[in-house]
Formats: sequence, structure tokens, C-alpha cells
Amino acid sequence: MKRSFIFFGLSAVLFLSCQKTVKLSLNTAPPQLVIEGQVTNTPGPYTVTISRSVAFYADNDFPGVSGASVLISDGQGVTDSLTETSTGSYTTHVLQGKPGNTYTLSVRLNDTTYTAESTMPQPVALDSVTFDNAIGGNSLRAQVYFQDPPDVKNYYQFILFINGSQFTKDYFVFDDRLSDGRYITQKLQMDSSYLSAGQQLKVNLQCIDLNVYNYFNQLAQATSTGAFNTTAAPANPSTNISNGAYGYFSAHTISSQTVTVH
Amino acid sequence: MQRLLSTTLLLVPFLLHAQARHSVSGTVRDAASGETLIGASILLLEQPRSAVLSNSFGFYSLNAPPGTYKLIVSFTGYLNDTVAVSLDRDLTLNVQLNGAGGQLQEVVVTGNKNNNNVTKPLMGVQKLSVTEIRDIPVIFGEKDIMKTIQLLPGVQAAGDGNSGFYVRGGSIDQNLILLDGATVYDPSHLLGFFSVFNSDAIKDVTLYKGAIPADYGGRLSSVLDVKMNDGNSKDYSASGGIGLIDSRLTLEGPIQKDDGSFIVSARRTYADLFLKLSKDTNTNKSSLYFYDLNAKANYRLGSKDHLYLSGYFGQDHLGFSNSFDLTYGNTTATLRWNHILNSRLFSNTSLIYSKYNYTIGINSGSNDIGINSYIKDLHFKEDLEYFISQGNKVNFGVDVIDHTISPGVISASGTSSFNPLNIPNKHALESALYISHDLSPTDKININYGVRAGLFTVLGPGTFYRYDSSGNAIDSSVYSSGKTVINYFNLEPRFSMSYKLTGSSSVKMAYARTTQNLHLLSNSTSSNPTDVWIPSSNNVKPEVADQVSLGYYRNLKGNDYELSAEVYYRDMQNQIDYKNGAQLIANTTVESQLVYGKGRAYGLELYARKKVGKLTGWISYTLSRTERQIAGINDDSWYPATQDRTHNLSVVGIYKLNKKWTLSADFVYYTGNAVTWPSGKYQVDGQIAYLYTERNGYRMPAYNRLDFSATLQGRKTKKTDSYWIFSCYNVYGRENPYSISFEQDPGDASKTQAIQYSLFRWVPSISYNFKF
Repeated sequence: MKRSFIFFGLSAVLFLSCQKTVKLSLNTAPPQLVIEGQVTNTPGPYTVTISRSVAFYADNDFPGVSGASVLISDGQGVTDSLTETSTGSYTTHVLQGKPGNTYTLSVRLNDTTYTAESTMPQPVALDSVTFDNAIGGNSLRAQVYFQDPPDVKNYYQFILFINGSQFTKDYFVFDDRLSDGRYITQKLQMDSSYLSAGQQLKVNLQCIDLNVYNYFNQLAQATSTGAFNTTAAPANPSTNISNGAYGYFSAHTISSQTVTVH
Repeated sequence: MQRLLSTTLLLVPFLLHAQARHSVSGTVRDAASGETLIGASILLLEQPRSAVLSNSFGFYSLNAPPGTYKLIVSFTGYLNDTVAVSLDRDLTLNVQLNGAGGQLQEVVVTGNKNNNNVTKPLMGVQKLSVTEIRDIPVIFGEKDIMKTIQLLPGVQAAGDGNSGFYVRGGSIDQNLILLDGATVYDPSHLLGFFSVFNSDAIKDVTLYKGAIPADYGGRLSSVLDVKMNDGNSKDYSASGGIGLIDSRLTLEGPIQKDDGSFIVSARRTYADLFLKLSKDTNTNKSSLYFYDLNAKANYRLGSKDHLYLSGYFGQDHLGFSNSFDLTYGNTTATLRWNHILNSRLFSNTSLIYSKYNYTIGINSGSNDIGINSYIKDLHFKEDLEYFISQGNKVNFGVDVIDHTISPGVISASGTSSFNPLNIPNKHALESALYISHDLSPTDKININYGVRAGLFTVLGPGTFYRYDSSGNAIDSSVYSSGKTVINYFNLEPRFSMSYKLTGSSSVKMAYARTTQNLHLLSNSTSSNPTDVWIPSSNNVKPEVADQVSLGYYRNLKGNDYELSAEVYYRDMQNQIDYKNGAQLIANTTVESQLVYGKGRAYGLELYARKKVGKLTGWISYTLSRTERQIAGINDDSWYPATQDRTHNLSVVGIYKLNKKWTLSADFVYYTGNAVTWPSGKYQVDGQIAYLYTERNGYRMPAYNRLDFSATLQGRKTKKTDSYWIFSCYNVYGRENPYSISFEQDPGDASKTQAIQYSLFRWVPSISYNFKF
């Protein structure tokens, strides 16, 4: 449970909180390699992107990294060698994701090899999506419904597309640690309003493995915003990629629903 | 250490046979209310070394060879009393002191002229009486001891909107907070905006941060010992206050004149009543309040026995619409029996109950969940005080606490997204024997030494896991009810000594080892009502601290001014930190989420206080460093702890303008907390992620604030009193950062920015206080 929830009311009542933009003197770490790779149970091709980090006050323009040798194998005898289709973006040719398979990513760049492994869980179907008003405000948020399979550990990620473009302001993850086997009602909420009536909302329910869940759960904590949400010691999420690269490699299933926001 | 213990034990029988002396003993009280006075100074004029202080129950005992003496009793804010005594046998002498002029402000003017601060061996001790804090400005105009002690040297405020405090580099949970001997697990109301201590019900507050006496144990950094008023045993009276946020009412009076009294004090906030006026249906169904109740009764059974029963009950409630509510609070009860075994041997037996609990309810359509958690103590304590001869006293006793912790019970209906879950209770027994000896081998030297032998027993029933380095359970053992899982034995030596250089200056040194077996798990920026306490276990080792300190004390102008300088070094073992993304709530294997390391803290504390005159107040300055070393963090090297603040300055001034007006101000400045900020950014899934290179490598902007308050004294007679307090917190509206958050620029998608959030600017308040 987030402290913000409690504090929201308190500061609203007392009218005490105020905010302003500050310019901080932040160091700039040397550019770090960031690898993102996905294999899903929907038809390929699948993409691996490689980029580098930039300074905090630089533009959100992350240079792609060319010239890497990228391989994904499915543990069943298929190894796909990816082709760089645009700067830093590498795509598969023959690979087809299947639940239960363990996929291995290997990226070779400047004599260093970065590897990662991810096992695609069994799929869970997204039943439906509804909307309700957030507490203490009039902002709409989505609520998703699905049946959690009993007796297995399940980890979920929700990816939202609003009018066709991916929503990139928050990470939504959920695990069944306290909900095994339940019919799940989960609110996709964030501090500020992100939906308005009439929009087309597509929700992807993704079943991810434990390492990927940990990665996004930690990332969600480290990037949470607002007066009361900041954790005491934010840190880089623990990745499943070896050799000091940032990012993640995820083999996951996707179940989608598209609805009109109302 | 074994040797120190056996030497002490050998010494005791010898000391018990001190001969051919007579004792005079009794209780020191306020003449008007009959309240016992704690820490009054009693001495025989002809025997200057005989000086003693009255104990927590106002009892004193001193002895001398037969003869005729003048006994002098003095106490801050009271007129001295001199009684002629003829010591031809053991005497009982109860003393009643009259308030100096009966005017509270004049109390400060008349002042306490004693030099206990110079002569007593204990160092790192700060005492405050509630009358002393009345004129110090605080937020919302509610006088608050927790906020006031944060203005003292070596004590650091956790920040705006937080009652927590750090002592000499320790964390918030390393302070033992006692109310009439009962542990208060969460001393804050409204998430820290107020403390649980209603100052109308409080008599005396003592903070030990250096040489913690051997009768206290269980926490690493400090002891905040708060004692409740006993109630007026002479007359009935009512007092109270009306403020913008809350109101208070206290009733007190004799049960039987001079032999027993009661006091009941209650508070409630009413800020939430304004919510009801809102047109918004979510808002007007919301609630936000706390109330608390302090009650105490005492009764004297003959000349040798005295019974005290006191209790506290407080509850906070936060609710939003019908969909969320959080209730939390402390309950304590203390039964004490004072027995004077003989004129030299004083016994205090306590039975104490203490509980902290919280309940969360979340309800959204068919999806509901309820969470309950508590920590409960049953505590027996026997303290004996033996007054041997002048300057020669032994304290010894036994202390047993039975802890029960319910980490969380989740209830949920059939349609909920959550499963019901009952995380099994944890049981532990914390027991200790202690002995300490005060002696003054020469006129110049005072020594206090002692030892506390503590045993912490983790008990079944329960399943106890062992974890590998990545936090996976590798095996488990099941223990049945009452079966010992593990024992931790710790010997805690305590030593302090003062050497008088002149009549008004001294040097002191102290060493103390402290241990802690209950640990608060909290990984947010400040403490939460839902933070979980866990006992030491097979995985979690007791925290251990060793502290040495050295100080110089000097009084000027006949004790009108107090100056002191102390340096300290503290080493801390088995400190707890959290894994990245640690899941601390409702987790049966919460211990798998922890990592361990070491801490060290050192610093210099300077303190200057003017105690008498039209202008009184103090300046306190601390130069310090607090560091941690945790496996896996910052390449295993030492790094600054969050509360590492290089400079910390507090200035408090109280000016008595005339009989009606008293003006006061305080100024606070400290170095910003050590924080973790990004040193770059990258993209994940189209979103911005921040790149961190080290823990606590940056600094928040420095904190500073000036508060002002004016007290207007109304008509005052022997029985009635009234005054107004006008105050303003943060007079110059400094936007002190509460937190800094890193976000995408809403106006320019190609940029990121840092946003600073602040809580309080200019909080004015008015309160009216009365007594009749």
C-alpha cells in the first residue's frame, strides 16, 4: 500500500504541499549499454533493440547501437540470427514463440558477449476491461479482470495502447503472491489522470517470468513520482542480462482486449 | 567484562555493611498540587558531597554520621527549602516545595541554580519539563515534546511532517520511547504531524543518548523516558486548550486529599469536520482524525507503599470515501507499586502492557481486503535502589518482556482478488538482569558503572527458514509452542565518570554497549503506520552498538549559563537494509528480503544555554558523520547514511517582554539528507528509466526555518490561569524540500526534469489555554 494514498488526503485537507521545478547539479555516468529483447506467443518477427544511456538533462534521444551480432535460440534446436533493420533495432526471421520454451539471447558487441534467458509462461486470458473514477478525483482509470490459475506462481505485466500508441508513463505489474487462484480485479492506477472518455484503449495482459517481473517491479518503484512515492534508496533494477548491460529479455504471452473509454 | 560483573557483585555486600550512619529519606512534592518532583536536589549543607537527586517517584534517601544538619532541597522553578535535621536515628522527611512566585514565566527567570550538569557522571542526558517547552514555537501551536527534543544537540529531526528523530546517527527505530515505563511503538499521530504525547498529561521527559543507565535496554541509540503527571492531590482542577486543529481537556483532583489523586486528559483533532462541508461525495464521506486519552491514578497505602495505575489509549483514523480506511494506535497500561523496604532501600515493581496495532480496509465493489497487524508486550520489571552512603548508591533489578507479534492477518471475501492469509504470530522473551553502582571515591570524582545481562529467546511455535544468498529458502525447521528456537545472550557494560576541575567545570567520559532485538522494517523515506516490527531470529542477528564519549562542561556566572562540548564515536553491528524491490508487507518469508551491514557515527556537539534573565534559551550545534557499510551496496565501501548531516544548528530564544507578553523564536539549519539521484537516463519499453551509479551520493538542499511565537498571559491567580499562544511556523516561508522526484517534462516530451515537493510554508496558528 502506497503512502501517497494516505498522504493525498492529508495534504489536500491541510493545503500544505507545494511543488516547483529545480535544476540539480547531476553527474553524468559514461554511456551504458541497454538491451531490450522480447519473444511472445504471437507471430514474429520479434525485435531486440540496443541503445545507450544519456545525461539526465539531455534530450530523450537514446542513440541506437549498430554492428552487434544478435542470436536468439529456443532450446528446441532453432537458433535465429537477427538482422539489423534500422540503427540499433534487430529482428528475427524464423523464430516462433511458444509457452514453456526457454529462450536464450546472446548479443556480441566489441568482443563482449551479453546473454540472457527467459522462460515463456503458460498464457492467461484477459476477460474484460472496465473504467471507474479514482478516489478523491474525477480521473478515469482502467480496471482489468482475469482468472488467475491456481497452484502456479503467475507474474503479470499490463501494456496499454491509447488510440494506437503505447502508453509510456507508468509500469503496471502484478503477481499472485496473495491472490493465487482468485478471479482478479486489478486497477491500473497512477498518480495523475491518463484516460479520457472516447479514447480507444487496448490492454495487453502479458504473462512474464519471475526475473522479468522483478525487473519491472523494481523499475516501477525506482521511477515512481510524486511527493510521497519516492523510495528511500532507488536503485537500478536487477536485470536478467549478464555482463553489466541494462535492460531485460522477456519471453511472454499476450492476451488483448480493446475497448472504448467511457 | 565477566570481571567487572563479579567485582560489582563482590562489592555489593561490602557496601551494604556501611555503618554508624543514619539516613534521612522521603518524598519531594509540589506544595500546590502534590505532584512528586523528579530530579530535585537534596543535600546536607555541612556535607556537600551528600547531594542526591530524587528518583522517578520523587523519593530520596541520604545518610550521614549522627549530628545536626541543615537539609537543603532545590528544584528548577521552585523556591529552595531548608530544614534543620537532627540525625540521631533514621528519619523520614517529606518535603513540599513552593513554586517560585507561582508564575510560569518567572520560573524561567528564577531558574535552577544548581550545577548537576557539571557534577553528575551521566553524560549525554537531556531533561525537559513541560513548563520549559511551553514557550517554544511548534507547528500548529501544539506544544510537543517530540518536536522540542529535536532542537537539542545530537538529536536530528527526521524532517517536516515526521515525529521521528535520529540520535547520534541511529535510525528512528533505535530510540526506546517509554511512557510510564511502557514501550510506545509508534509515537506519531497523523503520520508524524503530531506526537502521541499530550503535554498536558506529561510531567517530565528525559533523553539519554550517551551513557544509557543499565536499567534501560532494548534499543541501540537512545532512551526517551516520558513520565505522566500523577494528578493534583490537593484540589480539583480542569485545564485545557482550544486550537485550530485540536482541543484538549484535562481533569484532575484528589482521590483522598494528600493520599491519592487522579488525572484524565483527552485530545481530539477536528480538521476532518471541514471535510463534511464539502459538496464532493467522496470527500464528505472521508475522515481524518485522531484522539487520545491519558489517565492515571495513584494512592498511598500507608507510609511505605504507593500504588500507581496509568494508561494511554490513542487512535488515528484515515478514511477515504467508503473505499479505504486505516486505523492505528497505541495502548499502554502500567501498574506500579512503590515500596520503601527501609529508609535506604526503595523498590519499584511494574506490570506493564503495551500494544500497537493497525487495521486497513479496502473495499472496491466486490473486491475487498482487510489487513490486521499488531505487536504486544507483557512486561514485568522490578527495580531496586539502595542508598548506601553519601554519593554511594546501587541500582539493580530484573526486566522480563514477553513479545507477541502478529505480522499480518488478511481477510477477504469470496469475491475478493485476494486470498485470506494468516501469517503466524512470532513470539520472543526478552529478559535482563542489571546492576549499576554510583560512587564518588573523592570530592572530585563521580563514577557510575554497571552491566546489563540480556537474554533474548526466540520461541515457537513456527516454521523457521534458512535462506541462500539470493533469498530462496533452502531448508526449514518446525518448532512447537514454547520451544526455544535460538537464544542470544548479550552482556552490556555501561560506564561513566565525571572529574570536577573546579566548582563550575568538569570533564566526563562514558562507554556504553547497547543491543537491540526488535527491528522495524521500513523502506520508504519516512516511517509509516504500517511498518512491521520483527524480532531477532535465526537469520536476523541482534544489533549491537558500542559508544564512547568524552565531554567538557562549564557553568558561568553562578550557573546562569551552561556550556558543554561532547565528542562521541559509535560503532554499530548487524544493521539491517533491504534488497532492491523488497516486499515487506504481508510476507511470510520477509527475512529473505533483508541484507546486513555495519554502521559508524562520530561527531562533536556544542551546547550553550542561558537559564535565567529576561532572555533565556540555547544554541546547539552538531558536527557529525554517519556511515553505513552494507554488502553489495556501493562496492561494499562506506557510504553516508540517509541521516548523515554534517552541520546541524538550533537556536532557541525566549524573551519575557513584560508580565503579559513572552516572545520566542527558534531557528533550525541542517545539511540536507544524503540521497540517491540519477546520473543518467535510458529507455525501457518506450519509457524513461533513470540510471543510478551509487547509493546516497547526492545531497538534498540544506534545510532551514525560523519559527516565531508570542504568549499572552491572561489573569492569573493561585487557582486559575489562562493564556493565548500565537505562533507562526516557517516565518519566512522557506520551501524546504520534502522530496525530489524525477519526471518527464509534461510540457516537452523530449525532456526530463526534477520536481521538488515541500510541505509547510507559513503555518500560522492560535490556541487558547486555560486552567481553573
